[in-house]
Amino acid sequence: MADIYTPSWYEEVKAAINKKVSQLKDIPEGKWNLAIEIVGDGMSPYVEDNGERHFLVAIDNGSCLWYKEIASESDGSEIGKLDYRFRGSASVFDSIAAGVLDPIDAALDGSIKVRGDMRFLLRQADQVQALLEAYAKEVTTDWPKGKPPYGSSAGSNHVGEAVFYA
Amino acid sequence: MRDSYDVIIIGAGHNGLTLGAYLARSGLEVLVLERRHEEGGGLTTEELTRPGFLHNVHANYHTFVDLAPPVKDLEIREHGVKYVRPEVQMASIYPDKTALVVYSDIEKTCDSISRFSTKDAATFKKLFNEAHGYVDLLLGTLMFEPPMSVKELTKALSVFGVGNRSEFLSVKLRRETINQFLDEHFENPKVKAHLAFHGAVCGYANDIVGLAIGFPLLVGKINNWHLSIGGSHRLAHALWRDLANHGGVLVTDAEVASVVVDGNRASGVRLADGTEITARKLVASTVSVEQTFLEFLDRDKVSSDLVSNELFEKIKTEIKHQSWSLFSVHLALSKLPHYLAGEFEPDVDKAWVVNLGYSSPEELNDDWKLIRNNQLADPKPNVAINSLYDPTDAPEGSYTGLLRQFAPYSIGSLGPGAWMDEARHYGEKCIDSWRKFAPDMDAEAIIDWTTYSPHDIATKLPNMVKGDWMMGEISLANMLDQRPLPELGNYRTPIEGLYMAGSTQHPHGFITFAPAYNALSVIAQDIGVDQWWKKV
Ligand SMILES: Cc1cc2nc3c(=O)[nH]c(=O)nc-3n(C[C@H](O)[C@H](O)[C@H](O)COP(=O)(O)OP(=O)(O)OC[C@H]3O[C@@H](n4cnc5c(N)ncnc54)[C@H](O)[C@@H]3O)c2cc1C
Repeated sequence: MADIYTPSWYEEVKAAINKKVSQLKDIPEGKWNLAIEIVGDGMSPYVEDNGERHFLVAIDNGSCLWYKEIASESDGSEIGKLDYRFRGSASVFDSIAAGVLDPIDAALDGSIKVRGDMRFLLRQADQVQALLEAYAKEVTTDWPKGKPPYGSSAGSNHVGEAVFYA
Repeated sequence: MRDSYDVIIIGAGHNGLTLGAYLARSGLEVLVLERRHEEGGGLTTEELTRPGFLHNVHANYHTFVDLAPPVKDLEIREHGVKYVRPEVQMASIYPDKTALVVYSDIEKTCDSISRFSTKDAATFKKLFNEAHGYVDLLLGTLMFEPPMSVKELTKALSVFGVGNRSEFLSVKLRRETINQFLDEHFENPKVKAHLAFHGAVCGYANDIVGLAIGFPLLVGKINNWHLSIGGSHRLAHALWRDLANHGGVLVTDAEVASVVVDGNRASGVRLADGTEITARKLVASTVSVEQTFLEFLDRDKVSSDLVSNELFEKIKTEIKHQSWSLFSVHLALSKLPHYLAGEFEPDVDKAWVVNLGYSSPEELNDDWKLIRNNQLADPKPNVAINSLYDPTDAPEGSYTGLLRQFAPYSIGSLGPGAWMDEARHYGEKCIDSWRKFAPDMDAEAIIDWTTYSPHDIATKLPNMVKGDWMMGEISLANMLDQRPLPELGNYRTPIEGLYMAGSTQHPHGFITFAPAYNALSVIAQDIGVDQWWKKV
């Protein structure tokens, strides 16, 4: 089990997604680059309050090719172009990873803002749904500072330990 | 004006100007041709009654401010447009002199609704919060992108289980009227009447099957109504300024009479005075489908392999228009109205817009029946006092007023021309019905007034066929990629280089900027323009 937002956790996410994709039919061909922006909200202990963590993810024929954490907001120029941007507060992203918040609900209620051509995501609804499930349900995450709702030690065997993901 | 441009746009309403400005910013040589003496189309502001009184002849309510990407991309505010979002947005006053008020502050709106039903206030709050949450997502998906089909959308909604996540969003909405939606979720007839009326003012009649699908979105932006200080025309001016700043050219008093087709492609236009101008890349029409195909194209010269006789016939017979139009009374006032309902709710006197008299959706349904039968309903107008929030729109100590009433294009069997005889009389009836709610609006309070009928709309703007202010019916059958016809539903036409970019296209009329913005995507794709405005 990897601690949330650590390189090994992302490797697990990537593996879970790619495993799921290999089982899917009608995977859209092509390359897409995503930016994920996680904004500290004073609730999540994993992102400094008002701080931000930025990730770029490359998808090729449905599979996650690579991801990387970058220092600040990207316009995608360093990787050619950006197709989607997902932005939300850390406690929301944490809750999705913990499987306690449905990512579609988060997008619908505006707690995750999605920018990019939504028609493509809607047309690939089956595939998107499968990927979200892989992300939210098939990665076993360790929560060194507590799992949402934070403060309770449920789901964590590292409460209070020093973080080493940053 | 030179004799050739990369792009020729027909019509300088907000859609034509928006498309022109983006393409000019993209480095293309753009010419926008306008039939009238000034740009704006539906964004006209004129001193209709007396000098110094600024009347918005058409669009008064700007509901997509800060939701529509062009507002930022084209630096509308930097070009001088000042918007105010009135704190007291809209009120409904009922015949028993009670009143419901919508504020920019939704908590206050809920307090007002709770005077009629606490249950409805709670439901409204839930619906608003939900809808407000997904307004961006829905607008991004459904309005500011070329349309998907209803089938694709329905499938996506069901895969994502949206119907199970929200009591307000479900695939069955596409089989429901707004009335049914309201009956399912709300209990108080006055609350329902207010919400139904709000839909109708946005062009969504409450009794048309399928329009429930758009209702949550209307609620999600119910408190986003903005007034353009100094008149709606300021927006047209700002769009022109952006066009001009980027090398685009607007020519007024330039009525397009035909589109020149060379082989398979549109190669330019001919003006009513005979001037011919070449379009090196494309012609985009923002006027009606009927004008574009039945007037501008010479059927004898356009091969039937290109535009089939069947399509011409469909355009003649199947283009759907709104079954109701708008009758307006523009007023110059010496004082502000005080409503009798002020005793129940003092804030009605501060409401920018006041709807008078409907106390249930059924009353509105009855009026739709009359209007669709070319009859005039007993007026229950909505009243906007812009001067409450824009002191620049009238001479000091005076105010402008606007009464708007749903009305037919034709009167009885007499046709639309009958408005010329009827308008003054119907205007008096509208003022009388207003006075029942605001008795101080007596002869002294009204310095002057004039009317603007559905017939006037169609005369001033021939693209608004039959006074159709939405430039195409708002109905499920005329939405998304079916609007205005399946063959023309994607901003392209069968003629290469001829595009449709006005309100005839998805999503519909209103100051949304969306038809032009979406046509822009399609055009950019076709002619290889970098979509800088789509950077995520
Ligand atoms: C009475 C009334 C009230 C309204 N109230 C509101 C409101 O409060 N809020 C809102 O959002 N919307 C409102 N609308 C609707 C709104 O005005 C229109 O839907 C919108 O302006 C359409 O924009 P457009 O650019 O597609 O077309 P238009 O603005 O109509 O522009 C088309 C242009 O093409 C020009 N043209 C026509 N024929 C030719 C030709 N042959 N050659 C060259 N040019 C030509 C016209 O003169 C016009 O300038 C109202 C409309 C009316 C009539």
